Amino acid sequence: MRDRRPILVALCRLAATAVLWQPVAAETLTAPVVVQDAHYGEVLFYFYQEEYFPAIVRTLVAREQQLIDHHDAESELLLGGLYLSYGHHLRAAEIFERLLAGNVEPQVRDRTWFFLAKIWNQRGYPEKSQEALDSIQGDLPEALAAERQLLQAQIHIDSGQYDKAIALLVDWQGRNEWASYAQFNLGVAMVRSGRVSEAELILDALGKQKTRSKELNALRDKANLALGYAFLQDGQPESAKPVLQRVRLAGPFSNKALLGAGWADAERGDYRNALVPWLELRDRNLLDSAVQESLLAVPYAMAKLDSISHAADHYLHAIDAFDAEGQRIDQAIARIEQGELLDEFLAHDPDGATGWYWKLDTLPDGTESRYLYHLMAAHEFQEALKNYRDLRYLARNLDRWRQNLEVFQDMLETRELAYYHRLPRIKASLANADVEKLVTQKLDFDAQLNNIERSSDSLALASRAEAALWREIAALETTPALAAAIPEAGKARNKIALLKGVLQWQLDASFKERLWTIRRDVRLSGEALVETQRARRNIDKSMQTEPQTFGRFNARIAGLAPRIESLQTRVDASVARQRAFLQSLAVEELRAQQGRLATYTVQARFALAAIYDLSSTVGEASQ
Amino acid sequence: MLNLRTIEWAAVICLALTAIPAANAEDSAAAMASVATGTNEVAPGKLRSLDEDVQSLKDEVLALNRDLFLLEEELLFPANSQVAFFISMDVGEFFDLDSVSLKIDGKDVANYLYTEREAGALLRGGVHRVHMDNLKVGDHELVAVFIGQGPHVRDYRRGATMSFNKGIGAKYLELKITDKASKQQPEFVIQEWE
Repeated sequence: MRDRRPILVALCRLAATAVLWQPVAAETLTAPVVVQDAHYGEVLFYFYQEEYFPAIVRTLVAREQQLIDHHDAESELLLGGLYLSYGHHLRAAEIFERLLAGNVEPQVRDRTWFFLAKIWNQRGYPEKSQEALDSIQGDLPEALAAERQLLQAQIHIDSGQYDKAIALLVDWQGRNEWASYAQFNLGVAMVRSGRVSEAELILDALGKQKTRSKELNALRDKANLALGYAFLQDGQPESAKPVLQRVRLAGPFSNKALLGAGWADAERGDYRNALVPWLELRDRNLLDSAVQESLLAVPYAMAKLDSISHAADHYLHAIDAFDAEGQRIDQAIARIEQGELLDEFLAHDPDGATGWYWKLDTLPDGTESRYLYHLMAAHEFQEALKNYRDLRYLARNLDRWRQNLEVFQDMLETRELAYYHRLPRIKASLANADVEKLVTQKLDFDAQLNNIERSSDSLALASRAEAALWREIAALETTPALAAAIPEAGKARNKIALLKGVLQWQLDASFKERLWTIRRDVRLSGEALVETQRARRNIDKSMQTEPQTFGRFNARIAGLAPRIESLQTRVDASVARQRAFLQSLAVEELRAQQGRLATYTVQARFALAAIYDLSSTVGEASQ
Repeated sequence: MLNLRTIEWAAVICLALTAIPAANAEDSAAAMASVATGTNEVAPGKLRSLDEDVQSLKDEVLALNRDLFLLEEELLFPANSQVAFFISMDVGEFFDLDSVSLKIDGKDVANYLYTEREAGALLRGGVHRVHMDNLKVGDHELVAVFIGQGPHVRDYRRGATMSFNKGIGAKYLELKITDKASKQQPEFVIQEWE
């Protein structure tokens, strides 16, 4: 095989160039290899476009057809990577477990286990994730090693093994971004295991760190929020306020921090100062529970400041706002239950998009979307949405094949019909065309030509005109009048003899050329006859095999059609289940918001009633 | 007066103190947003059960696709008459591919316009099967016209011709675009894939 363009792929780094191994791709680029089978290059064509489904199918087809034998080992590893990137992690794991048991570079093996651990954890397979982490034998690259440790700690925390998580995180080395996440998770594990005072030190340090990183700023806010509320709960409002004030005003934790800062003042009886952050919250997004609560907190503080009529107005405003929001949530739930939501979610998703790395980044415009922003951040929702999208892809794929199979069936029927329609004519033609007779004739020709050559019978090669002329001359020679012994007859005989001589000379002179031309034509006829015999054999063979071929294709189509149909039914059912699951997540989220609003409304009405009672009591007393 | 503190402080602490998943920074930010807004963990068992169902379906649909592809190819392009035409690129410094058109024995058979993504995949070493056909045993002529941008971002249109013999069995032809560094020009070659 000649050299082909080197591509940046090798057994170990082939997968590394995949999206799957993107984080470590750069460092694993080593010696280039060449594409030796066109069909392997075709798999790469789809792989590089991140079209994993067609890439997998083409790999399976090419392997079945033995068209990528030069890349046997690579294609197996690539297939594992493709499965994993496509989100078909169980099949990917099978391949990797088989390959990784063999002679694979330890670094590749460990990285693969790590990514399997990661995807399994996200897909809700914690025990498999733990097994994969346990299978890592060597050291991972620095970035992955940190991520691995965090993943391990998270698995411990999720399974309630806080001491193990603490032991893992407490000795964290390094001061990079991962270290901050590790510190935070250490704080989480400590709080959950009851070591609150130790956790406070960690969260306080995290809450004071200076950084320009967007993610670390969010982490700092989160630590301050947790610590601030921990102080409030512990009856230390004076400690809580400065911590909560460290939370950025524009960050995702700002609303809860403002609410907490207000409570820190209110707990100390400073209602006037408490109103400052609570009034700031009043104009913010009512979807946030902190904003909803501020609608109650503001009149509460006003009442405490003896501004009863203002407090009553604010309670009325809160009741109206909660009521209006509750109605909007009702409408949103109705729309979600009608099933329109998910289709809108995926409306901008390209049809060909597949893969585990896909993520819904933006919500569609719509009443219910704004209530579901929070849900979008949940792994479960995103993973379920990926499955829903993949199922829709499968449904479209099956529908396309169902239509194609119908076309194949029609095509086959037409081909079969045309075959049986033409067959009698073909048989008749074949019966008329006696090839053997033609072969015999050709052999006779050869024999005749040999005789002509041997006897130098130039007249035998004369053209029709020459032969006619020859016959005419011969007829003239035998004319009785020419036998007369008169001078005119003698002259005529001489002329005829001259004509005959000229003709004979012409025939003799061109004899060899004529013989060669005729022999060439006979040879070409012979070759054509051989070709005809071969075609005849093919036709005979086709007539024998074609009905069998039709039968085989018909059987295959007949076998595939029910498979498509059965899978369509199952995919449709699975789409419905997945949709119902996603809808239940969305509705559950909205119902929780609705429940909170209902509680707030009751509390607002109760507070309002208390104010009215107080007013009437004061009125009666003043009368 | 009522105590209207309805958000449970313990709940806020609990929510804020959700472990950051060991994912990339973007995922962490998303997880934090989840925590900030109080999204609860939901039904992981249900998710897993549905996921196992999807995994099984993916497996079967992929196997079915393999069988259908094989059927399609054998039905439409029987091995004896099958000819496949592949496009590949090497380096691509002197040529940005826009489209390729093919003529076989004087007849237009394919005209393919490449997306940026596809051209990128070719540049990285992918090979595109641009056309498949059924041809009789014997001699044939292929004319390929490559359209794109050549050196100095100029519109570029070049043809390449090749005569080839189709025998019994499938035949694969490669239309290859390479850089000719000595001439600072792209080169277009058609060759048989052995």
